[in-house]
Amino acid sequence: MEYLMAKIELSNISHTYNPNDTNPTYALNPFSMTWENGKRYAILGPSGCGKTTMLNIVSGLVRPSKGKILFDEHDVTDLITEERNIAQVFQFPVIYNTMTVYDNLAFPLRCRNFTDQKIKERVKSVSDTLRLSSFLNSPARKLTADQKQLISLGRGLVREDVAGVLMDEPLTVIDPDLKFRLRRNLKEINEQYKTTLVYVTHDQNEAMTFADNIIVMDQGEIVQVGLPKDLFEKPRTTFVGYFIGSPAMNLFRSEILSDNSIKFNNGTIKTKTDLSKIKDKNVKFGIRSEFIKIATDQKENIVSVKVTRVEDFGNFKLITGKAGDLEIKSKVEREIPISTEELKLHLPAEKCCIYSNEMLVN
Amino acid sequence: MEKLYKFLKYTFIILWTVFIVAPFLWAISTSFKDFQSVNSKVTYIPWLDFEPTLEGWRVLVKSPARGGVDIVEPYFNSLFVTCTASLISIVLGTLAAYALSRFTFKAGFVRNNDITFFFISQRIMPPIVLSIPFFIFLSTIGLLDSLIGLVVVYIVLLMPIAVWIMVDFFNRVPKELDETALIDGCNPYQAFYKVVLPNSIPGLIVAGMFCIIFGWIDFFFAFILTFTEVQLLPVKVVALNSSITPWWSLSASALISVAPLIIVAFVVERYLSKGNLSGALK
Repeated sequence: MEYLMAKIELSNISHTYNPNDTNPTYALNPFSMTWENGKRYAILGPSGCGKTTMLNIVSGLVRPSKGKILFDEHDVTDLITEERNIAQVFQFPVIYNTMTVYDNLAFPLRCRNFTDQKIKERVKSVSDTLRLSSFLNSPARKLTADQKQLISLGRGLVREDVAGVLMDEPLTVIDPDLKFRLRRNLKEINEQYKTTLVYVTHDQNEAMTFADNIIVMDQGEIVQVGLPKDLFEKPRTTFVGYFIGSPAMNLFRSEILSDNSIKFNNGTIKTKTDLSKIKDKNVKFGIRSEFIKIATDQKENIVSVKVTRVEDFGNFKLITGKAGDLEIKSKVEREIPISTEELKLHLPAEKCCIYSNEMLVN
Repeated sequence: MEKLYKFLKYTFIILWTVFIVAPFLWAISTSFKDFQSVNSKVTYIPWLDFEPTLEGWRVLVKSPARGGVDIVEPYFNSLFVTCTASLISIVLGTLAAYALSRFTFKAGFVRNNDITFFFISQRIMPPIVLSIPFFIFLSTIGLLDSLIGLVVVYIVLLMPIAVWIMVDFFNRVPKELDETALIDGCNPYQAFYKVVLPNSIPGLIVAGMFCIIFGWIDFFFAFILTFTEVQLLPVKVVALNSSITPWWSLSASALISVAPLIIVAFVVERYLSKGNLSGALK
């Protein structure tokens, strides 16, 4: 039985690669998640955080140590890859060396007994999208690395009825210009065919521009699932704040002073967060450098810093300053003149995030 | 600089070619000589230096009456034993190697690497150690002095080579290739023979070549395990020798013994020089 265009549900999944040890180390800690049909998801996280394991569990290459996978409410945990109707693209091109480009692209369809007519049609459509049409009859092994990766990608996209296309950093070997176009193509394919796309990456820009929903992972743990905007403005943990955004979020050790203010350097910073329920007075305070502006006539939340470095990125300037021992970064428009000595920065209260035990306080 | 490099390169190639080809030329020339032309003075060129004769070759076919040995039957025996044993070794060896490369085995303290080493260790042992066990084994099951018995023994000798080469080869084929095939809709068996196997042709060729060479040239077991019923080429060629060394027939037999390997080398060379020996999938 095949599951076409399905909602994918991961229920209480966890996985360890050494289940027989007395203290198994978990590549994936227990989690549950649902991938709606037809949406684009990006899984974002540093290397070794369990992204690939998660994909392999969904495609059936790895059987989870615990938990269930449901495609449209049907339990597929025990089904082998072949029976799951999933497409997966790996980080490095995997091509069938002995076949032509056409045969490579047609292979997934042939395995599933599509008619020649249908195969021709699909291969043509996919090869047009990926600009492989002129190579269709050449042996696949003669192509360059990025063309080979396009073939891998093409094999993933050639079946339009799949439950999902899982991509494991598929564009690593492709040059930036083509990368940009391909990402847009993937989006178009998703919009046109309503194929669920899951995209693993460690590049936040890729994730942000590609996905409806971003899943941030760290050390086998799902730390936050949300829209790009949420991840940027309200990172749920300090890790997300640190990992998302360039530069990383400004994070400082701090102490709670009152129900809505904390200590910063020798001054006080007001926040919109209710801090009355937190027992541990030691917290972390985070703010995006994008939200820190040079103070004009504000009265509160002013920090005066000694400028140590100004970097011009062309479209903005990045100011690094020191307030006491604390280093603070601020992104400002490049037209604004910056005094090289002292600077007063304004930290808007509504943009301040407070973290207790590395978790965001709401 | 470029020119010097080219000059040195071609000089080396020419010297090396002469080095390789000279013995063959010598053997070809000698095989057409008679007693006189070999033993009196040094001769090189037929018709000019000596009168060519087919005596050396005739001895190999027509037999004992004229002091020669019939090597036609042993020749085909050798072909049969070598090809059969190589083929079976390659098939079994490839399957074993694929399993060793892709699955994890555990039996007590034995792991994949131990199993692979077990295969290889069969070749580490000096063959003489195996001669008595093999002899007793074959005589017990009544296969001493028979083609089947030889095939069995040669499989034992050749399969480790096939396993060894193929494990190494499969290990260099990324497992993503199999996984991709599974995702594309193959079952594990189809993934093996539709995708992994076609990609492994260079490895299979190398393994096959080694099997054929080692099978073809083996003298030791052919000598120990056969008497009169069945004889293999190497044993028979040695039997050609007598108190007066028959250089002409020895040369002729050497040439036709080497012939199959030369043919194999030419066939295989086409595949090896295609540059996909490395199994480069990335």
